Amino acid sequence: MTPTRLLRGGGRPGNESSGNEPSADATDATDATDATEVTDTTDAANEADATDTTDAANEADGVRARRPPGGRLRRAALAVTAAVLVLGGCGFLHGAHQLKSAESARNRALTDTEATTRVAGEVGNALARVFSYTPDGTAATERSARTALGGRAARQYRELFDRVRDDLTGQRVTLSTRAVRTGVIELDGDRARLLVFLDQTSRRGKDEATTAAAQLTVTARLENGRWRIVDLKAR
Amino acid sequence: MKRAVRALTAHRPRPLSSLVLALTLVAGGFAAWTGQDWYRAAHDDRAAYAAQRDEALAAGEQAVQNLNTLDHRDLKQGLDLWESSTTGELHEQLASGRAEFAEQVKAAKTVTTARVLSGAVTELDDRAGRARVLIALRVTVGASDGAKTDKDSRMLGELTRTGGRWKLSALGQAPVGGAPTG
Repeated sequence: MTPTRLLRGGGRPGNESSGNEPSADATDATDATDATEVTDTTDAANEADATDTTDAANEADGVRARRPPGGRLRRAALAVTAAVLVLGGCGFLHGAHQLKSAESARNRALTDTEATTRVAGEVGNALARVFSYTPDGTAATERSARTALGGRAARQYRELFDRVRDDLTGQRVTLSTRAVRTGVIELDGDRARLLVFLDQTSRRGKDEATTAAAQLTVTARLENGRWRIVDLKAR
Repeated sequence: MKRAVRALTAHRPRPLSSLVLALTLVAGGFAAWTGQDWYRAAHDDRAAYAAQRDEALAAGEQAVQNLNTLDHRDLKQGLDLWESSTTGELHEQLASGRAEFAEQVKAAKTVTTARVLSGAVTELDDRAGRARVLIALRVTVGASDGAKTDKDSRMLGELTRTGGRWKLSALGQAPVGGAPTG
């Protein structure tokens, strides 16, 4: 290319130094995928402009109405760059969404220490309360079950209690339950799944107390700022 | 002389070009914004921690299942799997007691299989590469006479990361009637 290149808007024909300015290649602009390349594109466009103007000048003087073909090239380069940037942006958007919505990232168990400790504590306490009773205090246990349990868990519990209530009182059964280990499997906003190891000590009348192990998976839901157990499954 | 001519044609306003240029700039801004959003998501400590948690749990469940699976007809493979699932003290224990244990199982002719019912990570130190897991397990023991018995057990496992992989370094039954913890 001849050193006839001029910066766009260079209304000073005598400015030699502008011809020596480094400028990016037009092809660079189409390859550009980075936001920082935008300025390069402008340079490239300037260059494209420069060449086409030379062409125009060679053709005829002052045929202004006619669009020089290089202008189209420049616009095409810009349009391609814009398209590439938009595509790249969409790619990033998609990638970020994939990362954020990945199952492991959505699960806040342990990553949100405070919430994890809280749900584990509340669920452990609730289980201890609803599965502990004295022969004369079943009403109190059922009352606390109404606040701690919901959904399917509440139905299961009522059915179970209806079956055994009379026996409990008749046989003077005392049950005390303790959550010995609680692990949060999944915590996603207002829903949590936990694995709880329980020790259940029962005493019938004046007999020796016996302790049995129980494993439960618990589904809990956060309702009005409190974790409520909505499903129980013996493991 | 060319330059003088050129200067005349060069400084024409082209609305379409400006529009395209503006669009390109907007596209650049969009790409920069989404790019940094993606970068942040990709370098999120929490996400890396969550990934370690899931890896530890998967490895823990698999290892506990492996250690509760043994077929007297294929002792070598079974015990090799035990050793490859463990590290540290547990690994040494298993390796040193291997011959004796193999004799016992051969004599008893038992086939033991296990199924993990549920598992959860209770502690994770992803820098030190240590984790603790709770596993609820159903172990089925098939005796030589074909009788099968199921036994549910609850295990506490400790995992240690070695060479990028989580392996069991301690395993035991959660005690019943003991002191309450975690």
